[in-house]
Amino acid sequence: MIPNNFEYIRANSVQEALQLLSQKGDGARLLAGGHSLIPAMKLRLNAPETVIDISGIQDLASIHRDGGRLHIGALVTHRTVETSDEVKSSCPVLSEAAALIGDPLVRNRGTIGGSLAHCDPAADYPALTLCLDAEIEATGPSGSRTIAADDFFVGMFETALQPGEMITRVTFPVLTRGTGAAYEKFSHPASRFAVVGVAAMVTLDGSGNCSSVRVAITGAGPSVFRATKVEQALTGKAPDEQAISDATQDVADPADLMSDISASAEYRAHLCSVLSRRALQRAVQAARG
Amino acid sequence: MAGWKSLKDMTVLSKPLPRLDGPDKVAGQAKYTHDMHPKGLLYAGLLVSPHPAARVVKIDASKVRRLPGVKAVLTDVHPTGTVRYAGEEIAAVAATSPEVLEDALELFEVEYETLPFVADIDSAMQENAPRVFANRPNIRDPRVRGEGDVDAGFARADAVVEGEYRTQVQTHSTLETHGSMVYWEGDELVIYDSTQAVHGVREGVAKFLDMPVNKVRVVCKHMGAGFGSKLQPGRYTAIAARLAKETGAPVKLMLTRKQDFLGGGNRPNSISHVKLAATKDGKLTAFYAKTYGTAGIGTNAGIRLPFIYTIPNWKHEHYDVFTNAGPARAFRAPGCPQASFVMEQLMDELAEKLNMDPLEFRLKNDSNATRQKEWRLGAKKFGWQRRHKKPGADTGRYKRGMGLAASIWWPGGRGTKATMTIYPDGTLDVKCGTQDIGTGTRTYMAMVAAEELDIPMKRIRPMLGDSNFPKSGASGGSTTTPSVGPAIKNTSERAKTKLMDLAAQFLGVPATDLAWDSGTVYMKTNPVKKLTWDELCQLLGTETLEVHGQWVEGLSSRGVAGCQFAEVTVDTWTGQIQVNKIVAVADCGLILNRLTTESQVNGAILQGISYALLEERHMDPETGTMVNANYGDYKILGAKETPAIEVIFYDEPERGVIGIGEPPTIPTNAAIANAVYNATGVRMYELPMTPDRVLTALEAHQFAGKED
Repeated sequence: MIPNNFEYIRANSVQEALQLLSQKGDGARLLAGGHSLIPAMKLRLNAPETVIDISGIQDLASIHRDGGRLHIGALVTHRTVETSDEVKSSCPVLSEAAALIGDPLVRNRGTIGGSLAHCDPAADYPALTLCLDAEIEATGPSGSRTIAADDFFVGMFETALQPGEMITRVTFPVLTRGTGAAYEKFSHPASRFAVVGVAAMVTLDGSGNCSSVRVAITGAGPSVFRATKVEQALTGKAPDEQAISDATQDVADPADLMSDISASAEYRAHLCSVLSRRALQRAVQAARG
Repeated sequence: MAGWKSLKDMTVLSKPLPRLDGPDKVAGQAKYTHDMHPKGLLYAGLLVSPHPAARVVKIDASKVRRLPGVKAVLTDVHPTGTVRYAGEEIAAVAATSPEVLEDALELFEVEYETLPFVADIDSAMQENAPRVFANRPNIRDPRVRGEGDVDAGFARADAVVEGEYRTQVQTHSTLETHGSMVYWEGDELVIYDSTQAVHGVREGVAKFLDMPVNKVRVVCKHMGAGFGSKLQPGRYTAIAARLAKETGAPVKLMLTRKQDFLGGGNRPNSISHVKLAATKDGKLTAFYAKTYGTAGIGTNAGIRLPFIYTIPNWKHEHYDVFTNAGPARAFRAPGCPQASFVMEQLMDELAEKLNMDPLEFRLKNDSNATRQKEWRLGAKKFGWQRRHKKPGADTGRYKRGMGLAASIWWPGGRGTKATMTIYPDGTLDVKCGTQDIGTGTRTYMAMVAAEELDIPMKRIRPMLGDSNFPKSGASGGSTTTPSVGPAIKNTSERAKTKLMDLAAQFLGVPATDLAWDSGTVYMKTNPVKKLTWDELCQLLGTETLEVHGQWVEGLSSRGVAGCQFAEVTVDTWTGQIQVNKIVAVADCGLILNRLTTESQVNGAILQGISYALLEERHMDPETGTMVNANYGDYKILGAKETPAIEVIFYDEPERGVIGIGEPPTIPTNAAIANAVYNATGVRMYELPMTPDRVLTALEAHQFAGKED
């Protein structure tokens, strides 16, 4: 439970962090809240030569709204997302979900950028990011670029980030009248990671039918994924209880899901259906205002 | 010797008093073995085998020895060189810091010849399975016990139920891992050990190291739980002693959390094929059980069947099965929670078949007079009459249910010695070589002396956890309180006699003319002639008074009964069980401290719920090692899963002191399982009752998917 020796450097700006990253090369890792990196280092599963501490970069720790977009800095903690008035009014599902992450210690230290960059298959933010069609801003030596959530999550612990890049902010849509979202999670009893977590967003048209549906599932497979069958089944339909129930009968095929000591693939598939149904029902309620 | 005072005359004993070491523990001032940090301490650790079965061909420690900060290395710590479970120690290092230690452990180069293995009981029982011990089959010869004529018993029955029940391997998971901090003073060895038996460890280590017993001292002032896993001396203690000898420095060797999970002990699993029968008027006639259990490479994986109820004809065949896993150790009521899971569910099934209320059915077959009263008392407090008559009666997603189960325990007190030292200023020490494993021993030692001598608690310093103190046994089998309580009372009475002799001498009257009341000695014929406690002690002048006493018959007894009632809610969408409430009725004779006794019952119930719903050792069939050997994957019940608990004591002070640590953990799992059946109409045949197991069982009964 003690890491290998490593060099520790504190970066005071994004520029400095990027410079250090390129200087130190493959042996360097960024440290934000440390709730994924440090445990891995303590178990000696990860042994970086250099740890670049970016936790003090103030520019990355703010939340602001810009018209229909909610920008959350990469270093904003889960606790801040949970309690921020701006997040609660612009995109309440994010606050709800952040409150379900780990425990108070994790939420006080862990950051949204860190969680997304780490891309744990059972983390909560990937489901929210993907469901809400968020954009991830990645900054590298040649400047910043925007990656759509649909393109960001590549696989287990694998993202579209390039070597030398870091996440600088995440942009979510402000949810307006007619659009609602919800997150339902079945937690591991000890770690509180998602055994399965389902995020759903629904937009209703003037006649009350679904004009758009997005459902994203974490914890169940090797990486977060969209439940496209459910989305298609409901798009254009009136989302009454029967329709939601019908659409969520077979959300996921156990053959595509993980089986481990927390849950069998079959049980995860069952949870995908139950949690999708609940998340969609609540999302529709929220959309109706 | 006089008996205990009556309850109404007691001013200290049987009251709810907070434990004396509570503030120190809360403030982090209580020093556990883990906290020992003498000057010059070396940190030692074990290299353990990652393979479940292997021959150690060669251990190359040359790189380890070259690492700066490494002070000693042992490569001969395994007695045979053939390891039989992943986690067995094969080498040890002492280093100047925990950081150097961890680097050093990575530098060993070990050549193993791996051998075939069996990771779990099912594979071990297969024909042609690899043998754990080359010269012995994995399935040991059965132990067969019984009474009466089983065939005749079944033949005259009107109803029979049968089934296969399974319980899991549960690890002790003590918050403080096993380990010792040791140092040498010349040829004398001092051991700080996280142990349930300071005298036992002293004797064991002396034997292991071929030393005179009186050159070994074992100390344990505070310890972070044992539950039975710390009753014996550890190989790590002897290893630490060797490292300390070689380096001339104090050495601390604590098992890592993972090593503790792998080799620190566990409760064996069980597979029970069982059959139970009764007549239509509800009298049990026969019971048959064929059971299997694995204690890993150890033995004694028995399950105590039949259990509690009176059955005239029964037979039980039990088979221990070897697997390549860490050896089981005694675990809070060994063999009993498993038996409760089986027996109490069979009782409920049979009651239903006979169209009887489960409580009525039990009353007909329970010959324990105390429990007869406890059943009725508990049922009333719990509101048993509110129970659904028809299982699964609630409609909708959430279903509520109620269940019950019984508890029992046997051992009582035994030989323990104690010493009291009284000082001229009126303070006194009470010394006993027992240990406080978190149960409140230290506190009631002072309470007993305070009650007997009628002096304030704060004048008494209770001292324990040191093998230099008079001998007491291991804290196991719920024997500590009925052993230590009477010994302290006996010592206090002898002190009183000696002080009265002193007073008689001083007053110039025969001692028989004197009486003792409220800490004062007075003349029976002339009560104004008296000596207060302070005056009495001043008579000692510059001397101290040393008094020796011991456990005596008549102040303790053996055998307790008890019962528990559980109310649960089952989420039929996810299979999650929530325990809403547990009502426990417990008896343990004369209760010495009502607060710590209640804590014992609470803790036992919490561990019982954890066993019922959460805890399970998972062995990987591919690698043969435990995959959830950490608290992040091995879930133990926490505040979030804790229900309302109501503890009702059934006082029987006339029986003297009896232990209570173990029995209340026995019935909790079965009461919950019976409540789950009452809620859903679906019986759980396997522990722990995890959401996926519950859901699978519900689906088999077509509950899943039916939503409101």
